[in-house]
Amino acid sequence: MDDCIARRAFLRLIGTGAVSAWAFPGMLPSVARAQTRELQSKPIPSSGESLPMIGMGTWRTFNVGDDPKLLDARTRVVKAFFSRGGGLIDSSPMYGSAPETIGYALRELGAPKSLFSAEKVWSPAGGNAREQFASLAEQWGIKKFDLVQVHNLQDWREHLPLLREMRNEELIRYIGITTSHGRRHAEFEQVMASESLDFVQLTYNITHRDVESRLLPLARERGIAVIANRPYDGGSLIKGLKRREVVPEWAAQEFACRTWADFLLKFIVSHPALNCAIPATTQVAHMNENMQAGSGPMPDGRARQRMVGFVESL
Amino acid sequence: MNEWDTYRLLDFVPFTREVYFRLLERVGESFWPLQFVGLIFAGASIWLALRGRARIALLLLAPWWVVVGVIFFLQRYATLNWAGEYIGWVFIAEGVALSVLALFGAAPAVNSTSPIWHKASNLSGIVIAVFGFIGLPATALLQGYSRFQAEVFGLHADPTAMVTLGVVLIAVRRAYRWIAAAIPLIWLLLSALTQSVLGIGSSLAIYSVIAAGLLGVAWRD
Ligand SMILES: NC(=O)c1ccc[n+]([C@@H]2O[C@H](COP(=O)([O-])OP(=O)(O)OC[C@H]3O[C@@H](n4cnc5c(N)ncnc54)[C@H](OP(=O)(O)O)[C@@H]3O)[C@@H](O)[C@H]2O)c1
Repeated sequence: MDDCIARRAFLRLIGTGAVSAWAFPGMLPSVARAQTRELQSKPIPSSGESLPMIGMGTWRTFNVGDDPKLLDARTRVVKAFFSRGGGLIDSSPMYGSAPETIGYALRELGAPKSLFSAEKVWSPAGGNAREQFASLAEQWGIKKFDLVQVHNLQDWREHLPLLREMRNEELIRYIGITTSHGRRHAEFEQVMASESLDFVQLTYNITHRDVESRLLPLARERGIAVIANRPYDGGSLIKGLKRREVVPEWAAQEFACRTWADFLLKFIVSHPALNCAIPATTQVAHMNENMQAGSGPMPDGRARQRMVGFVESL
Repeated sequence: MNEWDTYRLLDFVPFTREVYFRLLERVGESFWPLQFVGLIFAGASIWLALRGRARIALLLLAPWWVVVGVIFFLQRYATLNWAGEYIGWVFIAEGVALSVLALFGAAPAVNSTSPIWHKASNLSGIVIAVFGFIGLPATALLQGYSRFQAEVFGLHADPTAMVTLGVVLIAVRRAYRWIAAAIPLIWLLLSALTQSVLGIGSSLAIYSVIAAGLLGVAWRD
């Protein structure tokens, strides 16, 4: 074995946590592992392409207008996201200046290969899908979007055919629909069952699990990728837990869960139908915490049940 | 589940508290020292209203509604909230309405023969106007906010609405009072709701102003 290979083998050992566990015996091996492992990905069913399990949202958090100070602050958040292997950024014409804020950050940082741009068509913004696409592409400073979704199902009969046309023209790679807060699930299910979609986006978190009964099984059956929005229930869930509770010891032992971000996000992305969770944040420290949740061991079915029981008991 | 049950006020406020404060600050910063001109106009308007010079009092307020409509709403707030554009035009409309009322209104003047403090509407008008004129910016400065962050009549929406509401209560009578006070009251309600959602303490003061304002408008002199 030459020097270089030996060094690589050693680095791999560090990567698996073996050396850190040996060097820091007080530290749980699984925790050491979690701190060094890479962000995990899951395949998009319609293409097999892999997508990192933690993405980022931009509702409220990235709507900063043309304020230079806040634009730079959000650029630092995006930088932290990409430096930890982040891919999917989700926005919408409904989110005020958020698309422009992303555009600013991409101009400052350059758009890395891992970027998976996800936008929406939102009827009240006016214009058809093609017109909204053109203005959003300009705001982001990119030519194509990876994913365009029909926001909240609004006018989906009108928008989906046009999005499909644009997918054929290779302006968009994937198309989808969104809902949130448990709204319009019956119609959502109908569209999932009858239309050809690559993605759906819906609200799924440890306190909002209605989608487990019908929408998630249907997504698996139809080969549709699932994005979970509002993973922290808009922030109140994680902020409340952080204020009042301690992460249970068994979660740390079973799947290297050290923070509430780990607990809440690992719960979401460990569901077999889920591809990606998209927490939104204004803070670099929170982004780092969120991205960390996409690495290391994930809870299995039994652990997931225990997690639900634990949260319900609080 | 009824879809409307899933909506919360927060769903209608598309920006954070930090962005809201920066918006106030950036307006203050960009137009410094225009604040002083706004304050002179507000002070003069209140003074003239108390002296029974209703028409000129209203005329001094009117252009500032257009200024706030343009620089606060159309140029800045609208980049954060699509509703900002509509609100901007509503502010401009209030400026026009105040001018029309001042120039052509039938009887907007106070009854200068009766002492002003004998009327509840006048009293609540004075309290509201003075709070919007000096109380709001002074509280901000006392709380340690910078001179740019202090909200001031003529540049920021809340004090502009408060001073106007106060002057209208002092100077305008009968149905005209409802007409002139409606937009300031509606804006103050929107602002108070936004600030409650963002967890900003001053929303309580705004709710009190709204209550006093409604009392004043409804009072039959
Ligand atoms: N219909 C739709 O299509 C739809 C609807 C809803 C949401 N979405 C998408 O889903 C995204 C996520 O949903 P959301 O933004 O509503 O809610 P969320 O991601 O559940 O919560 C966001 C809040 O969580 C806080 N947060 C994030 N990371 C944290 C951490 N590690 N520790 C403590 N607090 C943390 C943030 O505050 P800080 O800034 O302080 O970190 C922010 O206020 C949206 O941004 C949007 O892109 C889509």
